[in-house]
Formats: sequence, C-alpha cells, structure tokens
Amino acid sequence: MNHVPRHALAAATASAVALLTAIAPATAQEALKVGTTFLLGSTDPTAGSAGWALTSHGIGEKLFMVDKDGNLVPELAAQAERNSELEWTVTLRSGRYFSDGTPVTAAAIGEGFANTFEKSKTAAATGGKLAFEAVDDLTLRVTTEKPVPLIQALFAEWPLVAYMLDDAGEAVYTGPYAIAELKADSHLELAPNAHFDGTERSPITLRKFGDAQTMALAFEAGGLDLAFGLPSEVLSRLKANPDLTVKSFQVGYQYFGFLNTARPAFSDPLVRQAVDLAIDRDQLVAAINGGQPATGAFAPYFPFTPAEAREFDPEKAARLLDKAGWVVGPNGIRSKGGAPLRLEASTYPQRPDLVTMLPVVKAALARVGIDVGTRVVENANEVAASGEFDMFLWAQHTAPSGDPAFFFHSMLRSDGPLNHARYGSEEFDAIIAGFSTSGDLERRAEIALDAQQKLFEDVPVTFLVSPAWHVGVSERLSGYEPWGSDYHVIRPDMGETRQQLP
Amino acid sequence: MTGHIVRIGLRSAVSLLAVSALAFLVVAFMPSDPVMIAIRAWNLPVDETTINALRTEWGLDRPFPARYLSWLADFVTGDWGRSFRTGEPVLNEFSSRLPLSLGIGLGGLALAALAAVPLGFTAALKPGGIADRFSRLLAITVQAVPAFWLGLVLIWVLGVKLQLISPFSAGVDVIALAIGLVALHSTGMLARVYRRDLIEQTAQPYYRTALAKGLTRRQALWRHGHRSAIYALLSAMRSEAGWAIGTTAALEVLFGLPGISQFLVQSISARDYFVLLAYIMVVASWMLAVNASVELTLRRLDPRADR
Repeated sequence: MNHVPRHALAAATASAVALLTAIAPATAQEALKVGTTFLLGSTDPTAGSAGWALTSHGIGEKLFMVDKDGNLVPELAAQAERNSELEWTVTLRSGRYFSDGTPVTAAAIGEGFANTFEKSKTAAATGGKLAFEAVDDLTLRVTTEKPVPLIQALFAEWPLVAYMLDDAGEAVYTGPYAIAELKADSHLELAPNAHFDGTERSPITLRKFGDAQTMALAFEAGGLDLAFGLPSEVLSRLKANPDLTVKSFQVGYQYFGFLNTARPAFSDPLVRQAVDLAIDRDQLVAAINGGQPATGAFAPYFPFTPAEAREFDPEKAARLLDKAGWVVGPNGIRSKGGAPLRLEASTYPQRPDLVTMLPVVKAALARVGIDVGTRVVENANEVAASGEFDMFLWAQHTAPSGDPAFFFHSMLRSDGPLNHARYGSEEFDAIIAGFSTSGDLERRAEIALDAQQKLFEDVPVTFLVSPAWHVGVSERLSGYEPWGSDYHVIRPDMGETRQQLP
Repeated sequence: MTGHIVRIGLRSAVSLLAVSALAFLVVAFMPSDPVMIAIRAWNLPVDETTINALRTEWGLDRPFPARYLSWLADFVTGDWGRSFRTGEPVLNEFSSRLPLSLGIGLGGLALAALAAVPLGFTAALKPGGIADRFSRLLAITVQAVPAFWLGLVLIWVLGVKLQLISPFSAGVDVIALAIGLVALHSTGMLARVYRRDLIEQTAQPYYRTALAKGLTRRQALWRHGHRSAIYALLSAMRSEAGWAIGTTAALEVLFGLPGISQFLVQSISARDYFVLLAYIMVVASWMLAVNASVELTLRRLDPRADR
C-alpha cells in the first residue's frame, strides 16, 4: 500500500465532512414547518371550501389548473375535447396514482366527481350538475347540464379537486402530499405521497396562525421554514434581519372600489370618471408596501389584462366635476345647488391593505374638492348588499380559474348576484354574453378586454391596485418561489430532498 | 353531606338548563344569517333553492321551541351536532381539545393558589414589607396588563430575541408558559385575599392569646389564621375561574394551542351554531363544577355549615 501523506488524508477527510455537511440540510427528513392564516377545515372534499384548501395544501390536484403565468393548463388531465354542445371527452394522464397506490382511472375519478356534484352546489354553479361515464381507463365522457364553452376552466374551479372514494367512503387524492393528521384551526401534518412521482420529500407540518402578526413573530423566532402571507407593516423589520428572507409576489386578487351608481352623486358618470382620474394609484401601492397600479380588472399576468396604465389626472378630474355642475366653494369642497359633494367610502378590516388605502383615497378626492367620509365595517357583504355606501373598497380574486367570465357575470352584469355597484348596462351585458358562445381562449380574452374598456368608460368600478403578497422563507426553503395567490402554497417542488448536484 | 351533594347537583342541573335556553335564544338571534354567510363563503348561487335547501338541512326552517328541544335532547344524549364549518361531530372536536384547555385553566388556577399562599402569608407577616408591596403591585399590574399583551412580550423576548422557547410549537415549554400566565393573573389577587383574611385574624382574641402563650407571629398566624384564610382564598377562586377561562382562550389563540377556544374563534365568524352552543355549555359546566367543588370543600373546612 502506498504511503498517503497525513496532510492529504486530513484534507480528504475535511472535504468529505464539508460535502456531507453541505448535503445534510437537503437530505434531512425533518418536517418542513409552514405557517399560514388559513387551514383545511375538513377532509371531505365537498365540505365548504375544502376543495380549494386541499389543492392549496398540496394534497389534491384538479384536472386543469392555472399555472404561474396565469395560463389554463392540464394538470391531472391530458386534454379535453368537445363532442357536442353538452358533451365533452376528457383524457387523463397515464401513469398517475392516488396516494394509496391505486392507479388513476377514469372510473375512479368519475365516481369522485359524481360524489362532488351530488353534494356540492358550488360545483354545479357553472355547468349545472355534470354526469360522468368512463369510456376506458383514461377516457372520461362528461355531460353538462348547461352549455360550457370552456370546460377546462370549469375543471380548474376550486370545488373540483380530483379524488377517488375508498372502501370506507373516504376520499383519496393524487397530490404530492397526503394527510397524516388534521386538527382543525390548529395544524395539519402532511406525509409525502410515495406514489406521486418517485421523488423523496420531507414531511410538512402546516400550522395555522390566528393573525399574520403572530405568524411573523414565529418566523422571526426561527419556528417556520415558510410564513405565507406576512403583513406589509412588518416587512421593513424582517428585511433588516440578515438571517431572514422575504419574497413578494403578484397575486390574482385585485383591490378596487365599487362606485354605487344608485346613489345621487354617482348617478352621474362624469363624477365617477372624475373619481377614477383623481386617485393616484402609485400612492396606494406605496401605502400598502407592495404591488402595482391596476390596469384593469385582472392581475397583470393574465393575458386579458389591459397593458395601459390607468390615467391619473386630477386637473382633468376637476374639469369633469366643473362640467357636472359641482363648483368649488370657499372651503375647498364642491357643491351643487347648495348641496356639498360628500361621499361615504367603506371597506372592511379582513383585508388590512384596504383599510390602509382608505385615507389615501380620501386625501386624493379631497384635492379635487370631494369631501369623503370613511367607514370600516365588519360585515362587508351585508353592507355591500344593502347599498348603504357610495364607494366600497373591495378585494377579489377576479380569475381564480384562469378565465375572466365569472367575475363579470357575478359582480357587474345587470342581474349579477354580487353587482354591488348597481351597474346596469345593456351594452356591457351584450359584450359579456359572448363568453357563452366562444370557448376560444383568444376570443375570450378579446371579450374581456372589450368589457373592461366599457367599464373604463362607465366607471361603476375604479380598479386600483394589483397587490403583491409576502412570504418569509428559511434558508432551507430559499429556493421557494411563491405564485398562484393562495391556491398553490404547498407544491411538489418545495419538499424535495433529492440532492441537486452542481 | 350526601343530601347536600344532591342539592348542589340539582341546582347545577337547573342552572345549566336555564343557561342552555338562554344560550340557544341568543345564538339563534345573533345578527347575520348563517345561511347567507355560508353561501358567500362557499360561493354558492344566491337563489331560493340553495337558501331553502340549507335551511332545511340545518333545521333552521323549524319553529324555535322545536329546534331548542330537539337540540337539547340530542345534546344530553351525546349528539352535539356537526360543525357546519368543518363537517365533523362537535363532540369529537371538543373531546380532543378539552383536555388541553382544562389543563391550562385548572393548572393555572392551581398554580396560582399554590403561589398565593406563601406570598400572601409573607405579606401578612410583615404588612408594608417587600412581599406585601410586591403582591399589591402584582394584583394591580395584571389587572391593567392583558395576558395577551404579556404573552406577546414574552414571545418576543423568550422566543425571538433569546430563542429559549419555540413559541408556536405547542410543545411543553409553551403549555408551561400558558399555565404560568394564567396563574400570574390570579396569583396577586388570591394572595391579597389570603393576606387580608390573615391580617383580620390578628385582631381576634385567640390570636392574641396564642402570642401571649409564647408562639411567634409566624406560628400564631399559621396555626390560627391559615385555615380561615384558605376558606377566603377558595371562595375567591370561584370568581377567578371565570378569569381563567378568558385568559386561557386568549393564550390558546396567541400561542396557537389546539384547545376549544381556538376552535371557537373561527366558529364565531362562521356563526357555527352547534359549536357556539357547545362552547357556552362547556363554559357554564366549568363554572358550575368549580362552584360546586368549592362549596363542598368549604363545607368540609367549616363543619358549622352542616349544622
């Protein structure tokens, strides 16, 4: 045996130790600790918003999904083809398994969906009650009750998580993780699904926090690998700590203001247009410490989002108010026929950003002579439904299934169930009626852009901010890139322990 | 004694029945319709079919007395209903969470009583001394400083700055901290009650006699004042039991401990009727149980009560 110099042996040992040390964090099986302010309430996929939470927590998948770029793409399905007005054929991906090792088949998936449509009225909101028939192992024939031009979008809706029912009637899913233990409102233990794609993953403990401030403290205390949804007011403190990493990302939610067209002041489109022009969206973004000025009804990453920035021109706003007959008085407040131009602006505390934006809006409108009273209400839906407001700051995910139709139909159509602006326009209704006849994505994007153009003219809604949300990540999860709002918090890639060699 | 136990049991049962009726009334007439809350939360279509279906499913279409009697019969037979938020049986949720909540509440009260005796005794031994002033300061401070705030400060100091505890791990260290905070809230007040009663004993002839017989002040207080002061301390624990519930609830939320209060908070905004009713009944049962226990213990301590 050749003599090996002692220093060479020491160097080799040191190198081996260094290599092992470098690998250790990546291969450790210690559970990843994730903090959120929401948690799956029930393992029943048809209960409440469980379908959304199951997908968000990495337990379930859908046939189609909205990817990080906002595109509607296949997930568990490979494709969908329309056979007739009410019939579709969905082809599933091959080689996929449920978390108990059972192969994914059209029959099993169809049985799961049939159970969902039997119990969940939400699932039937778009296409009515759907019927499923397995043609072969991977082909599913789907019959809708109502015509659905784009069934991919329907199958990307949050209630339609895919699953099979086992012998005990319990749901079994296909996502990268499976439920090991659930304590409602407290924590969820996730075990890697060994049948997902063969990649080794760490288990995950998902802990729910009552408020985001407390979660930020837990993150600072080193108790979390991922803190999802940090409040903007703690960002500067967290970013000042070199041991912590905070990442911000664009979400699909939009912050906007309903302008109640049924109220006297806002019955005049000129006043609504003036309000839209008077608000400086850059200031709003600065106030909430993230995001970008809204250019329309949708987040910037959707293909049906207008490219041009909304105009900010207080002088033009003032001219419009002059034209509408509102004259500036000695106190700086406009009036007409002796009545001051006073608006009541409301919002709700469940989205703290909106409360932060409220005084900024008030100040902006004061500069053009509009007196604004502000109000924060706990029961936003009740107040909005009652119509007792002039302006209501609101947060809404406007395209959760990657398709623009739902937002327009539900919140702005003349007979829309959540038409809080009391907007009634036959022209607008005619534009969005086009969604019912075309399944072509480009055509639907055009319809969405036309609809937004009409909204810009009539201004029943002033689109304000496309917000960014914030997550804190530990060194172990430094590669985590958040996307998809809160629809994909836990994803296949985040718990991987397979070592990536340089 | 047996007769007394039966009397207390009957009285507690009647009280619980009255609480149940009142609770059902209050919860049933809370503002906001749970059906509309569910419809909005679940994005259900707002139409008559959906509204009527949910009302029928949850029994909200029946007259109030029928709903109450039906719920009461189910409740006493162990069917506490299902949470329409989680879909799980409420009894199961409470069974798994109650031990932790009770552990924190009872542990805190017991610890407070244990700490109050030496503190109150030392304070009574030397009125105006350090222990006396400390017990007064403690009693006043905890009334002014909410446990939630104090908990946040401790999380910041012990968890974030010193990293001595994992404040949201729900581990033993966090549970011990929660028990300590519940105890802290009651210790000052119980110590003051115990001290006050001890000092009152020093004006009694038998106390002066004991001193004249050569006992030290410490010995005389312990032998002739302690039993009476414990009586006062136990009486005061009845009111502290209510505070313990509130403090435990706040700390469960703050530390993310999976007790019943943490479950309740989400259920309030969802108007989860069966959970709200179960919580009120559990809290009422806790108060009645503490009252009954204290009353029986006081009777054991004071034989005159049975005459």
